[in-house]
Amino acid sequence: MAILEIKHVSKFFGGLAANSDVSFEINPGMIMGLIGPNGAGKTTLFNCITGYYPPSKGEVIFDGRRMNGLQPDKVCKLGMARTWQKVRPLAKMSVVDNVMVGALCRTNSLKLAREMAMEQVRVVRLEHRSNFLAGGLPIGERKKLEVARVLATQPKLLLLDEVMGGLNPAESEEIIQLILDIRKLGITQMVIEHDMKAIMRISDRIVVLNSGEKLAEGTPDEIVNNPEVVAAYLGSE
Amino acid sequence: MNHPGILHNRHGASPLAIIAFIAIVALLIAFPGFVESPYARHIMVLLFLSTIMGESWNIIGGYTGQYSVGHAAYFGAGAYGTLIVMNAAQFDQDKLLELKDLAQDSHLSALLLSAHYLHPWTGVLVGMLAALTLSLIIGSICFRLRGPYFVLASIAVAEIVRISVLNLSDLTQGAEGILISDLPPIIIGGRTITDFSTKVPFYYIGLGLVLLTILVTWLVQNSKLGYFFQAIREDQDAAHSLGISLTFYKNSALAISAVLTSLAGSFYAIYIKFIDPTTVLSLDLSVQIVLISIIGGIGTIYGPVVGALVLVPLSEILRSNYLGESLVNSGLVNPDSAVGNFLTENLSHAHVLIYGILVVLVILFMPEGVLGFIRKIMAKKRLGRS
Repeated sequence: MAILEIKHVSKFFGGLAANSDVSFEINPGMIMGLIGPNGAGKTTLFNCITGYYPPSKGEVIFDGRRMNGLQPDKVCKLGMARTWQKVRPLAKMSVVDNVMVGALCRTNSLKLAREMAMEQVRVVRLEHRSNFLAGGLPIGERKKLEVARVLATQPKLLLLDEVMGGLNPAESEEIIQLILDIRKLGITQMVIEHDMKAIMRISDRIVVLNSGEKLAEGTPDEIVNNPEVVAAYLGSE
Repeated sequence: MNHPGILHNRHGASPLAIIAFIAIVALLIAFPGFVESPYARHIMVLLFLSTIMGESWNIIGGYTGQYSVGHAAYFGAGAYGTLIVMNAAQFDQDKLLELKDLAQDSHLSALLLSAHYLHPWTGVLVGMLAALTLSLIIGSICFRLRGPYFVLASIAVAEIVRISVLNLSDLTQGAEGILISDLPPIIIGGRTITDFSTKVPFYYIGLGLVLLTILVTWLVQNSKLGYFFQAIREDQDAAHSLGISLTFYKNSALAISAVLTSLAGSFYAIYIKFIDPTTVLSLDLSVQIVLISIIGGIGTIYGPVVGALVLVPLSEILRSNYLGESLVNSGLVNPDSAVGNFLTENLSHAHVLIYGILVVLVILFMPEGVLGFIRKIMAKKRLGRS
């Protein structure tokens, strides 16, 4: 059974359709890539799925449960967590405290939360920074912190919004390894990414959005060879 | 590469800090024993009052980042709750005594008598309950708003409360205010205190409340609540996405803060023995409450203490014109010159202006408050040494 079903989701802002009639499914354990040119509605779709916007039409079904109208904190508690395109560190708190905030979603004990947090800090390899203020970290480490923090909420499905944006190739490579490590933990992932090489490498399947609509869906090979996708990215004749 | 952030550790208090804390508390307990001056004791009571207000606001403003500029509403709830009930209860008790005389050998049961009995100090609880209720109402309305809009809404709601109290004169005696001549006896720690003519009982009540607010703040900081409050302050969308219910935790922070603020109001009311809407419900007071934390350093346990230590003496010195007069008396400035005249005659009238300018300077040059400023200097020294 699919862990996430998007059924005919549309989101209108006034007369503008940021998403229109998008449908697809994600199976447990897979990595789903979500790509599309700027303004295609990728982040809007994330916001609709995670409760930041209620979808104007359609349904989001997670783990057999209808998610429409649930607040983001409820969504997170049910096991769906997201990161932000523009990183949002809790600047005046230390790295481990940031991750503890995520862990405290699952426990009331600070001691246990600290242990859970340190575990995730090790997963993203930020141990050497654990007592630093989050606001002082360079961008690559902030992105990792973001991932550690959502991992600490013990998600079943992780939505990563451009975790490689603004990183140099070495840092991107680290994130790619991290995403593959997370898959080994059995966590399903949906990844928005602009770096085509990276997304083709890690995704099991890819959905392409263009002007708010689903343009194509398939394996990376199918997507690369799809003339419509090529046209959307490079412009048609 | 740049040094990424400051090394940061604050898990558990150091033994030295605990010893210092106990020593200071012991000194404060002993203080009235060796300082008899009523003025000095009065200043200490004012310091305690400011600290209680600052610590209370710090929970919603400093830790949770919701700058409420309407805390006078909760302060007023405490003050009015306390005095209204106290007046009514004392009245009842007088009546009760008459009834008791009548009831002797008659069939009026003791049970009936005790049903009439309302302890005068329950007013403090009534004030707390009123503040709690008010905070839940205000929270449910104002927390839909963010940032500056929340600030404006909090001011507006506090003004509504002030105007209501002004006009509900049957209950609150309107603009006339409420006066209380004698305080009813209170039992603290097995001892019954009946003598409120000195400042000593107020000193200890104030000290106790200061310790209570510090304890509450410490408990908040060292629990899930503290982490969630600070996460909301740093980035509420991120906090929301990490499973934190914004409505629940913002309202919790405001409720804790409001109840503690109402205690400050009750304390003020029994100390001054007179309240009216302009003193306990004004916007001035709301701003003052905010300043204590901001000047001291928001989001820290001892910030409000530092803020009170700065602001209370500053306002006393400026108001009594101690500076101007001592300059003239020391012979540095000729009292007949224009400067001397200005110092003795005009400076005291300008105390609010000078107070305002100093506050602006502190906020400009120490954006993290006095405590934050001291910490920064100490951190720099430590880095320089290593």
